[in-house]
Amino acid sequence: MTQLPSKSSTISPSLDRHSPHLTEDEVICLDQVAFGYSRKRLVLQDFGLSIRRGEFLTLLGPSGCGKSTILNLIAGFHKPLSGRVTHSGQVVKGPSARRGVVFQGNALFDWMTVEQNIAFGFRFKSLPKYEQQQQVKTIIELVGLRGSERKYPYQLSGGMRQRVAVARSMVVQPEILLMDEPFAAVDVQTREGLQEELLKLHEQVAGAILFVTHSVEEAVFLSDRIVILDRDLGGIYHEISIQLPEPRYASMNRVSEAFNHYRTELYLKMKAIS
Amino acid sequence: MSQAISKKSRTPVYKQQDLQTQELREKGLLFCIGIVIPLFILIFWEVTTRQGWVDELFLPSLSGIVTEFLAMATKGYAGTPLITHVLGSLRRVFIAFSIGTVVGLSLGLLMGYYKYVRAAFYVVTELLRPIPPLAFITLFILWFGIGEVSKVLIILYAGALIVMLNTIEGVRSCPQNKILAARTLGANDLAIFLYVIFPAALPSIFTGMRVALSVDFGILVASELLAGDIGIGYIIQDASVFFNVEALFVGILMIGFFGVVSDFCLAFISRRIVHWQG
Repeated sequence: MTQLPSKSSTISPSLDRHSPHLTEDEVICLDQVAFGYSRKRLVLQDFGLSIRRGEFLTLLGPSGCGKSTILNLIAGFHKPLSGRVTHSGQVVKGPSARRGVVFQGNALFDWMTVEQNIAFGFRFKSLPKYEQQQQVKTIIELVGLRGSERKYPYQLSGGMRQRVAVARSMVVQPEILLMDEPFAAVDVQTREGLQEELLKLHEQVAGAILFVTHSVEEAVFLSDRIVILDRDLGGIYHEISIQLPEPRYASMNRVSEAFNHYRTELYLKMKAIS
Repeated sequence: MSQAISKKSRTPVYKQQDLQTQELREKGLLFCIGIVIPLFILIFWEVTTRQGWVDELFLPSLSGIVTEFLAMATKGYAGTPLITHVLGSLRRVFIAFSIGTVVGLSLGLLMGYYKYVRAAFYVVTELLRPIPPLAFITLFILWFGIGEVSKVLIILYAGALIVMLNTIEGVRSCPQNKILAARTLGANDLAIFLYVIFPAALPSIFTGMRVALSVDFGILVASELLAGDIGIGYIIQDASVFFNVEALFVGILMIGFFGVVSDFCLAFISRRIVHWQG
């Protein structure tokens, strides 16, 4: 019997997030962040969030609630209008190889083979050639791309392409991997396979993952912690920790009682804000 | 023995053709139409001229054109061997196209990548774009003389402009996701340009090169019509003056031939290099 987490175990966003004794544990911290594409219409206001080392955190919410905006702020693609985004205590000033990003699609280099795509990040790292090849080989094995090393992205299915994208970002071992609805464009069966592989990869590679989705099931299956964002306030509406039986990637987790419990709870929360 | 029997029984007989066979047959049919119709036109042409339905002065007979071509090939045209005329023209196009591509590519990459450079040259290019290059031809002769230089330069200008515009388009059409992905993998500006933006622009660059090459042939003939004593354009011009309609057709058909062949080569190279494009 799996134990359901009590309500009290959910962590509410604390206000003293930037106090120094907390930073040991957290990799990313957003502190009183305001952002809007125009000053007149803010998407985020006074927003705070911290991501712990190694955790799998999912941002869940209706479209237009600012999920992707938060991800873009952390990646360094956008600058906050006020407040700050810090990575291990340093202010994020722009994109960096320490923060990997997996896009929804169309971000592979069509002119490179699967192998070349995955090894791309190593061009900018000083790692012995042999070790690079070894790591590329390992990750190709892990995501089930063996035999496709010499293929080009256009010769692959949508699911395979996203596997390459995930592998490419993960192989350079970023401290956090930001994933913006990476599996939204593939069919359900493929998506479930990809989710399970992602969890396996997350076990192997130590970094944290920030995942953005609007699918409750996906969030519950993948996450250690889920944050539901409010549409209007651009703030955190609800936060919940997920505890499912190990191994987390077991597909039977999808039909477990605990899974159902979480899904129902989140579904009702989502219903309440939309 | 028993194997043969079982093999036989395993191959069922279907009445309908499968889709693959249907497709193959359709392709064959289309190919035949593509060959037969032009052949029919050629025969019709030969018959009408042979029968004297059309005045030879307006439309020479096919056999007459072939005879004229053979005569030119052996005896030359206007005292110059045919091969000299052909090579003279091809040399002009080749030099102008090569340099024009390099110039257009460099300018296009700069203008596509640096928005300040693009802003600086925006008005100039937008003004030059709608002007047919031929409008400059006499000006070029005035500036660079009536010789080889002005001919090559006018062809070069026409091609470079097209390659440049297409290169700008190609650079700008590079999906932002790819650039950001490269950046989050640690790539600096130079690496992004070399490994992401330039390859992403290649399909567009090749399209520009192919358009430029075909335009270059047009400008070549026009520039040779105006001045010179060598080249396919010169043959066309000279033959017109003397109402040598057969030679005129030889010139026209040769331009068409070399245009098609060179485009075919370029298309072949392009498919090899930008293989990921459809």
